[in-house]
Amino acid sequence: MKSLFTIKSGGAASWAMRLAVAAVLAALMLWVPTRGSDSLIEVCTTAFTLMAAALSLNLLLGYAGQISLGHSAFFGIGTYTTAVMVTRWGWSPFHTLPVAFVLAFVVGVLVSLPALRIKGVYLALVTLALGMVFPQFIKWKKLSWLTGGAKGINDTGFKFTKDNPTYEIFGWNPWGNLRGQNVKPFYFWVGAIIVLVVYLICRGVVKSRVGRSLVAIRDNSTAAAVMGVNLPVTKGIVFGLSAAMCALPGSLSAIRTGTVTADTQLLTVAGSITFLVIMVVGGAGSLWGPIIGAAVYQFIIERTGGWTEPDAIPALFRPFFGWSKTAPGGGLFAIALILLMFVAPLGLVGLWRQHSVRLCRVVPKPAGTTTISVMAAAPAAVDETHTA
Amino acid sequence: MELFLQRTVDGLSEGSVYALLALGLVIIYRGTGHLNFAHGEMALFCAYAVYQFGEWGIPIGIAVVMGMGVGFLVGATAEVALVRPVARKSAFAVFIVTIGLFQFLNWLDGAIWGGQQLPNTGVGSKQISYPSLFPSADTDFVSIFGAEITIKSLGTIGLVLVLSAVLFFVFNRTKLGLAMRAVASNADSAKLVGIRTNTVLMLSWRIAAAIGALGGVVTAGNAQSVSQSLMFSVFIYASAAATLGGFDSPLGAVVGGLAIGVIQNLTAGYVEWVGQEMKVGVSFLVIVAVLLVKPSGLFGTAKVERV
Repeated sequence: MKSLFTIKSGGAASWAMRLAVAAVLAALMLWVPTRGSDSLIEVCTTAFTLMAAALSLNLLLGYAGQISLGHSAFFGIGTYTTAVMVTRWGWSPFHTLPVAFVLAFVVGVLVSLPALRIKGVYLALVTLALGMVFPQFIKWKKLSWLTGGAKGINDTGFKFTKDNPTYEIFGWNPWGNLRGQNVKPFYFWVGAIIVLVVYLICRGVVKSRVGRSLVAIRDNSTAAAVMGVNLPVTKGIVFGLSAAMCALPGSLSAIRTGTVTADTQLLTVAGSITFLVIMVVGGAGSLWGPIIGAAVYQFIIERTGGWTEPDAIPALFRPFFGWSKTAPGGGLFAIALILLMFVAPLGLVGLWRQHSVRLCRVVPKPAGTTTISVMAAAPAAVDETHTA
Repeated sequence: MELFLQRTVDGLSEGSVYALLALGLVIIYRGTGHLNFAHGEMALFCAYAVYQFGEWGIPIGIAVVMGMGVGFLVGATAEVALVRPVARKSAFAVFIVTIGLFQFLNWLDGAIWGGQQLPNTGVGSKQISYPSLFPSADTDFVSIFGAEITIKSLGTIGLVLVLSAVLFFVFNRTKLGLAMRAVASNADSAKLVGIRTNTVLMLSWRIAAAIGALGGVVTAGNAQSVSQSLMFSVFIYASAAATLGGFDSPLGAVVGGLAIGVIQNLTAGYVEWVGQEMKVGVSFLVIVAVLLVKPSGLFGTAKVERV
């Protein structure tokens, strides 16, 4: 395929491009919480929640190929750990994040035990059942002393009091006011940090030896085992890690909303499907896929959320959705999911990789450039044997 | 004793519905090796359609046949237009497509009929409750050993038994059944001996969706209303039934469905700490236990892996 520009990876042009992308991202990240409207900040924070959850699912499904429809349960474990510890035992909300992480890790490893023997659709079935059981388990009468039953738990949020420090920089306060007014930027930053942490963990795993063994398990588990990948341990750890990372945004949602119930959308199977949709639309098996997917998803859901009456729909879309009694968001993404499987199984990121080549091709560094002299010597030796 | 009999028959009646849906899952799995996650939603769409036919004044006996016709169409469309083309790519793509279909159908139900429970006088429903296939007034029961067994329960169980008998006849005594079994056991060889595998596969999806439609109508009739979340848990119970019976055995689906219904009702009734709300937990445990101990289920054939 011909491309307009060709640049070398690691060269000046490539670094300039990376810097430009980073600068735009940084500018956006500063502009939204300080200058953006309250509703925009809210939308972004929700998008961060979805990003982190979809990233964690991506590690398990996109890279290791283990289907999970039970991530809403892990998300819910985070939510309820925070809610219970804050209200029953008086912990500070942010101190519960590591506890939620560890607890979800343990549950994830336990769930992976049957997953070691079964695979494919059966694993999907088991995790789907897990996702169905979780809300019922929370609402179980025997546990209502802890979880509050079907009523849920109130006052789980961060307490904004007069004693909180303000952390101002020269009178300017980018994180919002922790003493009570204008608290939305604060959650924005917490969300951004959680996404960053989850992204870095995923990146660290994916770019390491473990990540390569995950891809090997996905592509051919028998061959991976033959090549020396320890299947049970690798699957168990990746299951636990994925569950643990999914609990972090769950905790954030408890801290942010202040009320938790077992019927919240993200805690039911609908939540699992949402994470899956985001991951597939963005691009399974790529680090940026879930991030882009969540941004697109939240944007479209937010835009079309009010389209329940024909008059509320912009004239351009009215002929398509005017008949619908509910908002079209769910249906749009269902159609997108099916269509993507036909045209671009690797999602938006896959589409971008496929078509951006026409505009600009980045030539990767040849492998092993540091030991170039050894590589150069090797073919010569082969030639000698031939001539001899 | 009366209570035990009562609970067992109630369990059998509930299990019959699971058996209907499990049958559909098994028929599709046998033919293509795919687990159809949209099966419950396909059934729900047909249940909504039957409600609509009722609104138009069509009696339930005819409406349910028309509903099965709708299932016939939905099943064929899903197989021909969606599943078959992506099946060539990967099993993962099929999984995603069935999930997409699940979400699309659920959204479509809400978009057409609204998010509330139906029938609902608030949105102008003419029917008072969802049409039931069997007489379901309070006086419609027979006393057996002091237990009050409703005609509805007996009718549902009878329906499943009759349907199973018909399917057994079709699968084992007709050319079509032979072709279906041939495709299930080896699609390539079946093609070589002149069986139109594509037609057979499409037909299995159609039959499965039509049986599922019947299951959806019975479920809605038992609940006396239809709503978007009606089939979520029923689908899990049906999957548990198919797992217990073995995913490639229609007989297993029926036995598994009835067994799951009875197990659930007895544990929910007698084991006090399980209670009604943890019924789905019982199904979860059954799925996990069967897959761990005997992945092929009670009547299924064990899969041999070749490298």
